[in-house]
Amino acid sequence: MALPVHLRDSVTPQELEMIACQQLIEIVPLIAMEKTAFISGAYGPLRPPSKAKLPLWMAVNLKLKKKCHIIAPDWLNVEHLQDRLAQEVAKPDAFSDLPFRFSEISKVLLDVASDDLENPDQLRSLLKDLREARQAKSREGLKHLDHSELGLTGLSSMEINEIRPFFVQSMNVLTKIARSSET
Amino acid sequence: MYIPPPHLANTRRSYTDAYKDILSAYRRSPQTSASSVILLVAPDVDSLCAARMLAALFKQDDVLYRIIPVSSVLELQLVKDELATYEELTTLILINMGNFIDLPTTPWFGEFDLGVTIHVIDSSRPRSMANLFYPGEKGERVILWDDGDAEKLTELRKAWETLEFEPLPDSDEDSEEEFSEEDEAGDDEDDENEDNDVRSSNGKRRSSDEGIKVRKRRKVDKPVPQVTRDEVYQYKQKLNKYYYAGTSYGQSAASTIYILATILERVDNDLLWLAILGLTYQYTSARISRDTYEQQHIVYHDEVSRLNPIFSDSQTSHALNSLNPDDLSVRPTEELRFMLFRHWNLYDAMYHSSYVASKLGIWKEKGRKRLTGLLAKMGFSIPQTQQPYSHMDMDLKKALVQKLDDVAPEYGLVELSYPSFMRCYGYHSQPLSAADAVESISALVDFAGGARLEVELEGHRHGGEWFGGGKIWDAAGYEKEPAASSKPKNATNNADNPQGNGDDDAEEENSDLEWWKKNFWFAYDSLTDIKRLREALRLAMSIHKAIIRQGTSIIDKQDIRTMRNHRVVVLTQGPDLVLFHHPGMLSRLALWLIDALRDRIPASATAARTKRRDLPFIVACLNETKGTYVVAGIMASPEFGDVRRNTFATNFLNASQATSTPIQHTSFNTNIVEIDEKDLKLFLEVLCA
Repeated sequence: MALPVHLRDSVTPQELEMIACQQLIEIVPLIAMEKTAFISGAYGPLRPPSKAKLPLWMAVNLKLKKKCHIIAPDWLNVEHLQDRLAQEVAKPDAFSDLPFRFSEISKVLLDVASDDLENPDQLRSLLKDLREARQAKSREGLKHLDHSELGLTGLSSMEINEIRPFFVQSMNVLTKIARSSET
Repeated sequence: MYIPPPHLANTRRSYTDAYKDILSAYRRSPQTSASSVILLVAPDVDSLCAARMLAALFKQDDVLYRIIPVSSVLELQLVKDELATYEELTTLILINMGNFIDLPTTPWFGEFDLGVTIHVIDSSRPRSMANLFYPGEKGERVILWDDGDAEKLTELRKAWETLEFEPLPDSDEDSEEEFSEEDEAGDDEDDENEDNDVRSSNGKRRSSDEGIKVRKRRKVDKPVPQVTRDEVYQYKQKLNKYYYAGTSYGQSAASTIYILATILERVDNDLLWLAILGLTYQYTSARISRDTYEQQHIVYHDEVSRLNPIFSDSQTSHALNSLNPDDLSVRPTEELRFMLFRHWNLYDAMYHSSYVASKLGIWKEKGRKRLTGLLAKMGFSIPQTQQPYSHMDMDLKKALVQKLDDVAPEYGLVELSYPSFMRCYGYHSQPLSAADAVESISALVDFAGGARLEVELEGHRHGGEWFGGGKIWDAAGYEKEPAASSKPKNATNNADNPQGNGDDDAEEENSDLEWWKKNFWFAYDSLTDIKRLREALRLAMSIHKAIIRQGTSIIDKQDIRTMRNHRVVVLTQGPDLVLFHHPGMLSRLALWLIDALRDRIPASATAARTKRRDLPFIVACLNETKGTYVVAGIMASPEFGDVRRNTFATNFLNASQATSTPIQHTSFNTNIVEIDEKDLKLFLEVLCA
């Protein structure tokens, strides 16, 4: 199938968001529901006020209809992110430990459930800081790109997606150059 | 039948049961489509808010619905005929209409499929007894959402039921009376006489069916307790007194739906804000009195504190900004009676408010001097008062309410403020107060279609009078009609079109119907779009300016004729005549004049001075293109903030019957009618006699 040029190399952020929404998240339901079968699996039963684990897409749907409250994942709070930011700044050549899909999940939660999070605007600014710090590091890391390997551990899925087109193309070119210089 | 509000219901059916029935009927029906649940909405701010709230509730429950704007009883009939053909209709919800129409009877919804339930959420009173008490399945499916008043109508219930269903003492005299009643009813398309029709036709049918002999035989055979003629007379008197005492307003539709949402535990700031707008609209358009407003206000204040806990301590918030970009909270505030004062400069706001205008006599030079004197006493210099409000000094703004309370009583201005609310919109824009939002939305409902009003652009004043350097109001995103007809038409407001021959008439009629629908939808969209609301504030200000211009010219020219029982103003010329075709504008003008003249007893005062103060007001405006007069009648009340029942509905009808002039109701407000040009004089004479 022929995709348009800009889509051939990598995945779009919206697709990554959708993939990220399959992750389970904890909610406090406001309505009751029996164990129901969906395409991706069976979820429920929902018995308010006890918590339940649902995929993020379903939690978002319920939240928009005001039928649940979403509980923030344990990494999405101010102290944790501040801690990670400090780590980023302190270690200039390693990435801090954040969940693989943290940027997609945090975007969705801030859009839909900002009233369930504490200090949403501070969270937003912290996430922005984290992004900038990590972006600087990955740029730095790309300078050391060579034809055989490059180690960038700890990147998140959106960041990998961002680098992928350039990375792949440049590895190809570098391999050709290396091969031609060897012969 | 009616359902009581939840706090009075105990174990009976109440709002939530009705709502759950709507949901289950929707989900059960095999032919569910977007037309299964239909809302018929009247074009005023309260119904817009109620419709929006219901739409939000339906959306959360995954119910497809449709909203149809309806402006008058005639249109309701057309819509009803169309709805009769819909097979998949399961629920019909009428908002701010239908209280006074006998819905379960045959000419209306009596012939509809029994699966269709009809809910009526209407704030106007009085209500038709048929709606409340009609028995059987036909009556069961018409559900009025009541606010507690229907419980008190037990006597009237007895009266109505007796008159409807008991065998009436029949005799030649009685049937003759009923005959003549029916003749009087005539050929007008109003609502009030339908009751008489139903009653008298029932009686007539009974008498013609049974015949006098049979009745006499029955009297002899079975000693049934007969209803005596005296009782019949008394019952009729009671019902007439209820129906013809005049129109008033009960709980707003938005409040009713807010109560529903509270019980369903689905309230949030958006629903709360819309409910507040509905209440404020009722108060600022003089539909409810200050006391009722304050009672309701206390309820909403508690709700605001519950949902917005940070601001439960009282801070005058004229200068408060939003705390953070996500702040969408509602806060309590003191609202001043000046029209839109946060968006004008202070001088203009006081100049254009009817209350201040009347007390100070603004239309004369002396009055204007008094106004500047008042402002000076409060410590506001003239340049300061000419600044747009947002550029005024901060400490002046904070001290405004306090200073007004101190200084204003000297000029006779008391009760300048009333408690109200305002809403923050994050960093999108400044917080907006409820009264301003109501003004803006009602301006859009009347005029979004681009009346040729000049709207002031912000910043063009340069500290002086506005010399008209504005632009014509043009709502961004408003769909203009395609100018595809043979004659070049003015794209939006047809009142400007000077032509009117037969060819154009039909097209104009169609587009005449369409413009108010577009206005309706534009206003509906703006309920949640703060940018449009802010733009519409400019329009509202121009409307007020036009009203003031017209009002002051009327007073200056001494155009008000004071008859024995009414005051009459007839507008036949003037620069803004076109604007006053709209019933909304006309009633606003009448309200302004009432307020302005409340303390201005005319120079030729007679001995009965107090009686003169509260004469009802009739304003008539000529529509040259159609050759008709739009006539609005408003009751005056002796005190500001007091409201009287509006008896013009019946007065107009009686006058129309007496002079046999056809009148037309252009909206659900029964106190605004349209009559032909040539009939005006006669009509007014009979009305005021």
